[in-house]
Amino acid sequence: MRRTTTRRTRARALGTLATAAAVALSACAAPVSNRTGTADDGYASWEDVAADARGQEVSLWMWGGDEKGNAYVDDVLAPAAADQGVTLRRVPVADTADALNRVVSELQAGQDSDGAVDLVWVNGENFRTGQQAGAWECGWTDLLPNSAYLDPTDPLLAEDFGTPVEGCESPWHKAQFALAYDAADVQHPPTSLTELFDWARAHPGRFTYPAPPDFTGSAFLRQSLYEVTGGPEQVPAGPDDDGAAGATSALWAELADLEPSLWRGGDTYPRDAAALDDLFAGDQVDFTMTYGPATLDARVADGTFPETTRVLTLDDGTLGNASFLAIPANAAHQAGAMVVADLALAPEQQLAKADPAVWGQYPVLELDRVPDDLAEQFADLAPSTVVPPFDELSRGADPELSADWVAPLERGWRDNVLTGQR
Amino acid sequence: MNRRTASSRRAALLVLPALLPTVLVLGAGLGAAVIQSLGLLPLVGKPELSSAAYRALVVDDVLTGLGVSVAIAAASTSLALLVGATAAVLVQRSRIGGLAAVAAAVVPIPHLVGAATVGLLLADSGLVARLVGAQPGTFPALVGGPWWVAVVLELAWKESAFVAVVVLSSLATTERDLDEAAAGLGAGPWQRLRRVTLPLAAPALVVSGTISFAYVVGSYEVAWLLGRTYPEPLAVLAFRLFSDTDLTMRPQALAVAVLTVAVAAGALVAGAALLRRVAVLR
Repeated sequence: MRRTTTRRTRARALGTLATAAAVALSACAAPVSNRTGTADDGYASWEDVAADARGQEVSLWMWGGDEKGNAYVDDVLAPAAADQGVTLRRVPVADTADALNRVVSELQAGQDSDGAVDLVWVNGENFRTGQQAGAWECGWTDLLPNSAYLDPTDPLLAEDFGTPVEGCESPWHKAQFALAYDAADVQHPPTSLTELFDWARAHPGRFTYPAPPDFTGSAFLRQSLYEVTGGPEQVPAGPDDDGAAGATSALWAELADLEPSLWRGGDTYPRDAAALDDLFAGDQVDFTMTYGPATLDARVADGTFPETTRVLTLDDGTLGNASFLAIPANAAHQAGAMVVADLALAPEQQLAKADPAVWGQYPVLELDRVPDDLAEQFADLAPSTVVPPFDELSRGADPELSADWVAPLERGWRDNVLTGQR
Repeated sequence: MNRRTASSRRAALLVLPALLPTVLVLGAGLGAAVIQSLGLLPLVGKPELSSAAYRALVVDDVLTGLGVSVAIAAASTSLALLVGATAAVLVQRSRIGGLAAVAAAVVPIPHLVGAATVGLLLADSGLVARLVGAQPGTFPALVGGPWWVAVVLELAWKESAFVAVVVLSSLATTERDLDEAAAGLGAGPWQRLRRVTLPLAAPALVVSGTISFAYVVGSYEVAWLLGRTYPEPLAVLAFRLFSDTDLTMRPQALAVAVLTVAVAAGALVAGAALLRRVAVLR
């Protein structure tokens, strides 16, 4: 799960450029603006969608590097879609940007309908790039009957890494940043990052974080930025906005002050999350961190991490993000794609893929809205002494910063914290 | 005279099948790197010939990177030459075939595997730390420490095997006869080592040392796995810039790569000059 997130993010970073170039070209080539906005096919009711969908074959383009995810789609989601008369065909791609490139190239060539891609598993930069290119069908997500199980005020579903979702993609999974500690060594676990920093100062050498630009280390920077500024709403939208410099200088001051209390006196940092995990496993530090806490159970079970490993619950919540299903504006089988996106939100489907043995993806639903018997099954899912249930883990989850922040934060850390004091 | 030209021409022809792909692959890679570093193949924006990428490099990063790269290469190559030559001479003198087989077996192990193994051995909570029962925080910082100990040891270990194999093969043909002749003329073991063995091994030492130095300057994985966050060797700096989410950093990454190649090429030229002198001595 952590690797999945990391790989997807890296793939996103690497793959965006070709897409960006294609977008720039398509912007000159054709008036794309009229493609965004509401569904021009104008489905008025779900009955029309369901009727149109029957007999369609939907191509779901998704990153194919996760065996469990592939198996879930083929063995659980596809049969359920077949029951509604929709054939679901999974098209594995090495990089989500490949799917977007295909759509943008088709639009650029003037192919406004009958496109090859019907549905894409997407989030963050690829969604934003597609949005700029007018590549997504918008305004269809409210039609989905199962969207009633979503919390309309959930900030993670309203914005995708800072880009407003605006009905252009339907939620599928959630991910949650978490810190873990060894309860045998940490008697009074901190309840905020500020308390954690104080704990680190009181226990020199027992805390550290992966050096950004590592994905997890970079997430820790964003979490710390929320802490020193007082929360996501206090952080300016972009790194060049008013107040951004003040926010980051407070962050650098805090982290530079913390440095001498870190592992090895802050002389060096673990190169990546795997290296931090090794330190934690070898009892060199008492904390580790991950964007995929569902993996912690397995690592405790196989003896890598101590049995006393626990996820740290922070009062103010931690970073979370969601990934989505989007329908290209020129998809050949939009109705079928909407049926699949709706099915993906069904509590039974969300429950099935939340099981770590099946896939282990956190649900996007609000469990209060789910029928009681199913909600109980979510609660019973793989009861863990290590990781709290997702509703507790995700309480007060902070939305991710805009993707524009990532590179400046990583560079700023290097200049101000890593090399600044030497 | 005529026969000599013909035979050297035939030799050149025989080398061609090996030379051609090497030149093509190397040339294409290097050419692409140079072109990208000069802004002629940008991922974003218009192609334009400029030295902007070179000028935009953070001078401190490049200079410290250069220092670290050269220091690691010099330390590990010196150590590799010492250990490799000693091992070769020991094998040659004692005629223990097993030792030669060990050296030959080490050569094909990838550095990545070697580095991971050395990490398991020397990390703060590695095998050695556990064997001596070190308390957390008390084991010396061999991995990721200020002196790059684990990095130099791994590179020296792998390269010493390479040196030993090259030196052994250079001694194998003639050394025994000359050594026995010198012994027959009354030369002691120390004299034979200095007057016979070392001069015979010198060209092989220069060649293998040069190759090892150039290799280490360009190697990435060992320093990444066993090194520290800052400062970083040139190869690590280049790869960090290459994988930066900001795609406009790509030309700078290639500029660092081109500089790294220049350093390695400089080492090869110096090695070739040294070889000429050593060969003349012989």
